[in-house]
Amino acid sequence: MAANFWTSSHCKQLLDQEDVDKVPQADSDRGITPEEFRLVKIHMSFHIWRLAQQVKVRQRVIATAVTYFRRVYTRKSMTEYDPRLVAPTCLYLASKVEESTVQARLLVFYIKKMCASDEKYRFEIKDILEMEMKLLEALDYYLVVYHPYHPLLQGIVNDTYKMDLILIHPPYMIALACIYIASVLKDKDITPWFEELRVDMNIVKNISMEILDFYDTYKIDPQRGLPEDKIAPVMNKLPSKA
Amino acid sequence: MGDGRVGGGTNRPAWLQQYELVGKIGEGTYGLVFLARLKQSHPHAAAGVGRRGSPIAIKKFKQSKEGDGVSPTAIREIMLLREINHENVVKLVNVHINHADMSLYLAFDYAEHDLYEIIRHHREKLNLPINPYTVKSLLWQLLNGLNYLHSNWIIHRDLKPSNILVMGEGEEHGIIKIADFGLARIYQAPLKPLSDNGVVVTIWYRAPELLLGAKHYTSAVDMWAVGCIFAELLTLKPLFQGVEAKATPNPFQLDQLDKIFKVLGHPTVEKWPTLANLPCWQNDQQHIQGHKYENTGLHNIVHLPQKSPAFDLLSKMLEYDPRKRITAAQALEHDALLPSQAGEKIVQYPVRPVDTTTDFEGTTSLQPTQAPSGNAAPGNQSVVPRPIPRQMQQPMVGMSRMGGTNMAAFGAAPQGGIAGMNPGNIPMQRGAGAQSHPHQLRRKADQGMGMQNPGYPTQQKRRF
Repeated sequence: MAANFWTSSHCKQLLDQEDVDKVPQADSDRGITPEEFRLVKIHMSFHIWRLAQQVKVRQRVIATAVTYFRRVYTRKSMTEYDPRLVAPTCLYLASKVEESTVQARLLVFYIKKMCASDEKYRFEIKDILEMEMKLLEALDYYLVVYHPYHPLLQGIVNDTYKMDLILIHPPYMIALACIYIASVLKDKDITPWFEELRVDMNIVKNISMEILDFYDTYKIDPQRGLPEDKIAPVMNKLPSKA
Repeated sequence: MGDGRVGGGTNRPAWLQQYELVGKIGEGTYGLVFLARLKQSHPHAAAGVGRRGSPIAIKKFKQSKEGDGVSPTAIREIMLLREINHENVVKLVNVHINHADMSLYLAFDYAEHDLYEIIRHHREKLNLPINPYTVKSLLWQLLNGLNYLHSNWIIHRDLKPSNILVMGEGEEHGIIKIADFGLARIYQAPLKPLSDNGVVVTIWYRAPELLLGAKHYTSAVDMWAVGCIFAELLTLKPLFQGVEAKATPNPFQLDQLDKIFKVLGHPTVEKWPTLANLPCWQNDQQHIQGHKYENTGLHNIVHLPQKSPAFDLLSKMLEYDPRKRITAAQALEHDALLPSQAGEKIVQYPVRPVDTTTDFEGTTSLQPTQAPSGNAAPGNQSVVPRPIPRQMQQPMVGMSRMGGTNMAAFGAAPQGGIAGMNPGNIPMQRGAGAQSHPHQLRRKADQGMGMQNPGYPTQQKRRF
């Protein structure tokens, strides 16, 4: 498994785009649109990223956490599973799985620091520990995740976690799309190299286009994430567990 | 997997209803282990597993210390076992959560025996060695499972006889299952040096590089443990019984190293070049480097001719330099594991003692409904403790599922020497397999080694 993506649970669980985009019933009942559903996931991916900067975990842990987060919402509603709590708990669980455990109390401390003004982000250790068990269940106990990381492409690869690509495509295809984008940005023609790989270039190009579309559509500040006026109304639609 | 919902008024999780608790079979630092039976067939029941009445071992992880959440041990075990699937690796059939008390339960296919109990039974009850054919079969299967793990970049890190289970009566009779992945690690892309997890592997089976403080150790540590287990299967005694220095966080274990050096001779930088880089070798010069043992007496201890293939294999497993130590894949190809004539003798091993007075909460009832089976009166008909009726046993059949070339060679060996329970020693005819494989152990239950009235091993908690 660790050596073989093809026999992994990750590979078996890859989804179609439609399944990933589908807004859970409870959320659409609250008036969450598919676009808003996507916005929350982008926003909370940033949230996980920023929290991770505070507790200083490696890139891989963050990537695993975001993957868990996105996977949860292919099965559970945001109404039932408050993303404000699911996000830090995903980071907590991912840190254990990736063998670099972060204390729950540290997460609680930094959430308080980061989101002091927002009461909906007020959680205790107990909340994270309870959610950890619910997450294990929601993930059906499948915890091993593969990532398309390569040090040279880290920036673009990181951006792919603002999307659901990791739930849909095998990591190596995402990595190839990142290589493709990098080659286009650097104005290098590496078509022969791709030809030798014998992968379906249509898929690689489609993923690349999705990533570029994402850049165009959201024009996100890499430090700050989504603008407040865009995300706040959406978050307010979701009930708070805090 | 389990839905974990809390059921009815009893505050008992709904999933618990699918099991009929038989009793407690073990206890460890993490929690308790229970034997239970499935009340209903699992919807995806395959042949022999998940069927109604199937025995299941349920490992309950205690509520963690305040603030720690699900124990990393449980996380590792779930994470790895959810991905891997091999005949010689224990099968995780379910995970359950009781949200009410935050406890976690892992349900495994139940294995009646383990190498610790089998070795002990031979040493203390039978006073007879395990026959070489059985040793070979057990070793082959252990290596087969380990080769699968290693080729998937998983190091077990805690191999010892009690973690190597052997299936009892049933379709998988005699099949080895490597268990207890609480310390196992994927070593493809470690985020921290592997040594950061603290000291691993029970001291007697711990590889010399670990005892000397190696930071980046490899799958070779598992092979050292296999070598120790191999020797123990031959002699029925742990090969290197060092006394653990517990108070120290230091991996350095002088007594254990000394036990190893006495048997294998002193390691040298010539034979093991990276020895010079190991922290404890450098720091403890006067202690370790001071002792000199030259006589290598391994063959005397295991009573194997120095030129025999078995001795050659054992010494390659107990090679000091982890880079030169034989790998699981290489060991499987070794001459010592070539198919050979089956032995004649069948040994029946006692079943695991079950404490039927303990419930899932770990509470002991004052009035047991049944006598604790571990001390059940040894009837002269049956070696089966009362609480576990064995009427559902199926006739033994040949191991048709053993396919591959290597398996064919060893095909029937697994269940051969380990012929388990046979209440009343009723002669049983092995299925077609017995005829079709020349190497297959012939089952002659009526020739069992004096097991008509074997008594029971004194009840002892399993060490997990």
